This record gives sequence, structure tokens and C-alpha cells, in this order.
Amino acid sequence: MIEWSDTEIMIRDAVREFVDNEIRPHVDELEHGGLPPYDIIRKFFSSFGVDAMNRENFKRRIEKVKAREAGADSGQADAGGGISGQEAMALLAVTEICKVSMGITAAMGVSVGMAANTIMARGTVAQQERWALDLLTFDKVGAWAITEPDAGSDAFGGMHTTVKPDGDGYVLNGQKTFITNGPYADTVVVYAKLRDPADGSDVDLRRQPVLTFVLDSGMDGFAQGKPFRKMGIHSSPTGELFFDDVHLEPDRMLAGPAAAKGSEAAAGRGSAEGAGSDAGRESARANFVAERVGVAAMALGVIEECLRLCLEYAKNRKLWGQPIADFQLIQLKLAKMEVARVNVQNMVFRTVEMARAGKTPTLAEASAMKLYSSEAATEVAMDAVQLFGGNGYMAEYRVEQLARDAKSLMIYAGSNEVQVTHIAKGLLNGG
Amino acid sequence: MKIVVLVKQVPDSGEERTLRADDKTVDRDAATKRMNELDEHAIEEALKLAEANGGEVTLLTMGPGDATDTIRKALSMGPDKAVHVSDDALHGSCAIATSKVLAAALGKLEWDLVLCGAESTDGGVQALPHMLAERLGVGAVTGARKVTVEGATVTVERQTDEGYEVLQTEGPAIVSVWDTINEPRYPSFKLIMAAKKKPVESFALADLGVSADEVGLANATSQVLEFAPKPPRQAGVKITDEGEGGAKLVEYLASEKFV
Ligand SMILES: Cc1cc2nc3c(=O)[nH]c(=O)nc-3n(C[C@H](O)[C@H](O)[C@H](O)COP(=O)(O)OP(=O)(O)OC[C@H]3O[C@@H](n4cnc5c(N)ncnc54)[C@H](O)[C@@H]3O)c2cc1C
Repeated sequence: MIEWSDTEIMIRDAVREFVDNEIRPHVDELEHGGLPPYDIIRKFFSSFGVDAMNRENFKRRIEKVKAREAGADSGQADAGGGISGQEAMALLAVTEICKVSMGITAAMGVSVGMAANTIMARGTVAQQERWALDLLTFDKVGAWAITEPDAGSDAFGGMHTTVKPDGDGYVLNGQKTFITNGPYADTVVVYAKLRDPADGSDVDLRRQPVLTFVLDSGMDGFAQGKPFRKMGIHSSPTGELFFDDVHLEPDRMLAGPAAAKGSEAAAGRGSAEGAGSDAGRESARANFVAERVGVAAMALGVIEECLRLCLEYAKNRKLWGQPIADFQLIQLKLAKMEVARVNVQNMVFRTVEMARAGKTPTLAEASAMKLYSSEAATEVAMDAVQLFGGNGYMAEYRVEQLARDAKSLMIYAGSNEVQVTHIAKGLLNGG
Repeated sequence: MKIVVLVKQVPDSGEERTLRADDKTVDRDAATKRMNELDEHAIEEALKLAEANGGEVTLLTMGPGDATDTIRKALSMGPDKAVHVSDDALHGSCAIATSKVLAAALGKLEWDLVLCGAESTDGGVQALPHMLAERLGVGAVTGARKVTVEGATVTVERQTDEGYEVLQTEGPAIVSVWDTINEPRYPSFKLIMAAKKKPVESFALADLGVSADEVGLANATSQVLEFAPKPPRQAGVKITDEGEGGAKLVEYLASEKFV
């Protein structure tokens, strides 16, 4: 694939129109007025029929599973969380939205891509029907919570949030932080360490298994903090979650007692793939791949928008009687932006092409894309601020927001340092 | 109910537009081409009527080969099929010739209602629905901000400067609409992907029984003799308030006929 097809360009243009009409006019409120993004996301879902499409796919998939369970169909259920043809289309939408308000894609991506996909990949049909469908249609908002104040990159090893067996269920205690949609989520996927009192007090928490649960907002003992003030992606609310003796019925646990040993988890957040049976492992891996590839699409949005704004500005801003585009140092900035654009676009194209061939990038490859594209976007956006001079530092010219937004890409979805470890692991261990 | 919607590809009215230096027709390459904005509202209304009453929506466009872009975009909103009238001889046709061609095409289609935009943003003639009605011997109710269809009766609220008038006719009829009538939908991703597979029938002049010497620039009933770019915007009037600013403001507003 060397360029978007006619049909994809139609999709892109339609999303562009939506962004211009439905998002751009609200950027100030989203950035500085605390406007949550959810009504806009819902409008996006209903305008483009994403809700109906996801509902249909969900029904088809559940029917398939039920038929297989009844022995009528020997076909395989779709693998959860991976990149399908439709998700390739989603990449295009993500790129367009990130040109104006990256946080909207973060809020949307976590709810659908992380929370719903985890339930689809690791839950029973009953759990999928109970929680995932409403997330897939965006009738409800989802969050996906691993990170804790003392456990980010070392998410599973350092995890202090615990569940204790209680009757046939569990009791949850602890705290999560930096959780996208945390303040507003209706449905939250939470990871917690198993702490069985029968094990005695000398048990090494690092090595205890990690279990996955689904919580509903409003449960006794479950509190959702207010949105943090943060550097960028203001349109994505991020906050803390608190668990104080939250009683969890057994049907809130995903995929049985999913065990992740601390030793496996030490390599970073990506080691969530250790948290489960092999099927859970696979699906979590696919989640990380999708998330990291998604970062490339987000980065592409920032880069394309910076390049567009910079070209326009460089041609119109006149100094010493000539447009600054005539200066070679400005041209160098533009040229480097173009290099970044070509590279990141090729990464997105490759992902789409692989999806069409029924393939998924390896974790190492997805990590490489994430590492490169997030750095490229941040560099391009900071250069854009520089190219605009004083105006670049002013909110009105928009590049400062793009720079703040871009920086987030280097931190979440596994910090860039953790991407390095995953790339190295792939290179050195061939996996 | 069978509805035909007239759709035209025009230069984007949001960009600088001009006429061609050689034959003084609209320079279609000077600006981005897009669907005439009001036609989106006509399509939306047709889809709503078809959804409410059952039926089929067909697009009809007369335009050069690249109008297929607009046809596909229009199809992605939901219509079932399209008819594209295209012929080199049509270049530079006036409104009267256009109405002849479209009437001939409508004669080949089955319909209860024809919907179109109240005007095209490039021509702005607003006369086409009436010309078509005359040629086809049906009623035209134009400038609608609301349309209702009950049985064969078509009722519209016709938008005027002061408010609206209610007009009624028996179908088949031609209805033109303003942008106040509805909010056009975004095309769903699913329909965008399906748009390429929807049938588009092509007609040349010969298929419609119209001869080349009835259409085109050479046979146009109106002629552009001369054109000039619009003058740059004049500086505004500044009124300094030295006690009688209010009176001066009113004077100015009255002289410009604002009050
Ligand atoms: C906007 C935003 C949204 C987020 N949303 C979510 C969410 O929805 N759900 C969720 O669970 N989490 C979320 N996070 C948390 C995010 O995943 C973590 O911030 C990230 O994994 C880093 O963890 P940390 O903040 O604890 O940093 P730390 O792990 O404390 O890292 C500190 C520094 O050490 C570096 N480092 C770590 N390990 C190594 C190593 N092995 N070698 C070298 N350097 C290393 C890191 O790269 C970093 O530079 C979000 C974060 C942000 C900023």
C-alpha cells in the first residue's frame, strides 16, 4: 500500500468534516473548560454508525461462540483485541482527530480498545454481554486500571492493590492512578494481586498471581477521584481510583484465577501478558500491539497537522521582506517534519497492510513503531512551536497544544524506556 | 415512494472562485470541487421521506466525468443508485438547456417526487425547478424549510424573508429546499464502503434524445460578455462619539437601509 484508497479518503474526509464541525468549535472548552469528551465521542459513534457496526459484530461473535459451544460450528472465534479491517479504518479516524484533540482518541481508545477488548478476550459470554457490549457501543464509558502510585513501568511486580478471598468472592483494597476515564468510567477493568491469608505473612507479594476484575461505578467502597490537571491531552480525563473493602462477587473475575508471577512481570507493564492462561496472555499481547500501533496513528495526526500549519505559516510570515520559508534553517525544520511524516505514515500503512494479510506486528515491532513515532511527533511539534516563534508559544496558534499532547505519547502505552526493553528482548531473544 | 434528488458538483464556495479566461464559463479547476451544499439537505430530506414512507432514492446529476466523486460522496449518505448525464457537448450549457437535459433524464426514470437544492452555489439561478416543472407538466413548490407528504399531497413551508408560506400541490412534484430544512447526516463508515458498489447509470445526450445543437455554450440563451474580480473590501465607516454618536449611528444604519 502506498496511499489511502478512494474509499479510505472518503472516510478521512468525512471524519475531517466531523472534526471541523463537532470538535474544533469546542477545543477551548475541552482544553481549558473541563468539558468531558464523552458526548462528542457518542456523536462520533452514532454519526458514523460505529455503535451499530460494533453491536452487529458483537452479536455475530457471541452467536459463533454459542454455536461452537453447542458443537454446531468448529470454526475459531475471532481473536480479541487484534487489528482487523475495521480497526485499520479506525487508525485513519484516530489520525484525523489527533490533529485537533488527541485526548478524545485516548478516552475513546482506552474505553473500547482496552477495557472492552480485555473483557472480550478474557471474559465469559455472560461477562461480555453484561459489560463489553455497552462499552463497544459507547453507551457506557470504560477504564482500564493497572498503574499505581508505586507501580507504573513495574506494574505487576510493584502492584500493591490486593484481593483477599472472601466466601466465594473477593475483597479488593488499594489504589490506582493515572487512569484514563477514571473520573467518569461506568465500567472499570482492575488488576489486583491475590493475597491469600492462608499463605502467611512472609509471602512475597511481588510473586503473587495477578487477577483481573470488572467493577461498576457506585459499588460500595469504590471511589473515583477528580480529573488531574495535566500537561496535555486535556480532553482525556485522567484520575485516581480507590478501593476500600470492595466486595467482588465471583462473576466479576475475568478468565478464572489468572496467574502472573512477579518474575515474569518485572520487565514492565507489557508483562500483563503474563496475567492469565495462555489465551489471556495472547489477547493481552494483542492489546498491547494494538495500543502501540495506535500510538503511531496518533503521532501521524500530530505530525501532519504541524507540517500543514508550519508550511502555511512559513509562507506567510515575512521578515526582512521575505517569507521565513526562504531561510534554510526553516527549510531544515520543514524537511525533518516531512521525513517524520513519511516514516510514520509508512508504519501506519504497513500495519494496515499486515492486517489485510491477516497478520499482526510482533510486540517488538509494535514497540519500535511506538518508540519512533512518539519521539518523532514530539520533536516535530516542538520544532513547530519554534518555527512559529512567539506565536508558537501562544495557545491561539495551536502548535503549543500539539506539542503538549505529543509528549504524552512517550509516556503511556508503556514508557519509551520500556519500549526499548521490549525491542531489545525481541532482538536478543527472538520473541 | 420513489424520489429523485438532483445533485450538482460545484467549486467550493468557501474558496476563491472565478470564471475561465477563454470561454468565460465557471472555472471548475480553480477551486476544490464538492457537492453543492444545499443538495446535501435535499438528499437528507429524501432519505428521511424514504425511511418514513418506504421507497427508493435515486440521484441524478449532469456534469463532467469527474462528477463521479460527488456522486459517490452523495451515495455514501444512503441513496440507492445514481444516474450520471455526461457529454462533452454539454459544456457551458445555460439553465434552460440544463433543464431540457434533466427533464429528458427524468423522463426515463420513475418518480413521485423530485427534490433539489433551492439554488446551486455557482449559478445561483433558482429557476431550474420551475423550468423542469414546466417541461414535465408537474407542480413545483420551492424554497422549502419543511416538506410533508401525505398520499399524493405534497405540502411545503416555503421560506420567505418575513417568515414562511404554506404551499400545496398534488404529486408527482418538484420540491427545492433551503438549508434550514434539516441537518444532513454524516455518511456512516459502512455506507462509505458500500458506495462504490452502488449502481451508477450513465447517459450521453444521444441516450436522452437531445441533440448537441440544443445545448452547450454556443447555444446558450445567455452570454457572459465580461467579468472582473470582486473589488477589495472597502474600509469601514468610523463614527467618533462626541455627544451625538447615537444619532450618527442611526443615520448610518438608515442610509444603508439596515433600519
Ligand atoms: C495521560 C496518561 C494516561 C494514562 N492512562 C493510564 C490508564 O488508563 N491505565 C493505566 O493503568 N495506566 C495509565 N497511565 C499510566 C502509564 O501507563 C504510566 O505512567 C507509565 O507506564 C509509566 O509509569 P510511571 O508513571 O509509574 O513511571 P515509572 O515507572 O516510575 O518510570 C519512571 C522513569 O523510569 C523509566 N524506567 C522504567 N523502567 C525502566 C527500565 N527498566 N529501564 C530504564 N528506564 C526505566 C521510565 O521510562 C520513566 O522514565 C497513564 C499515564 C498518563 C501520563
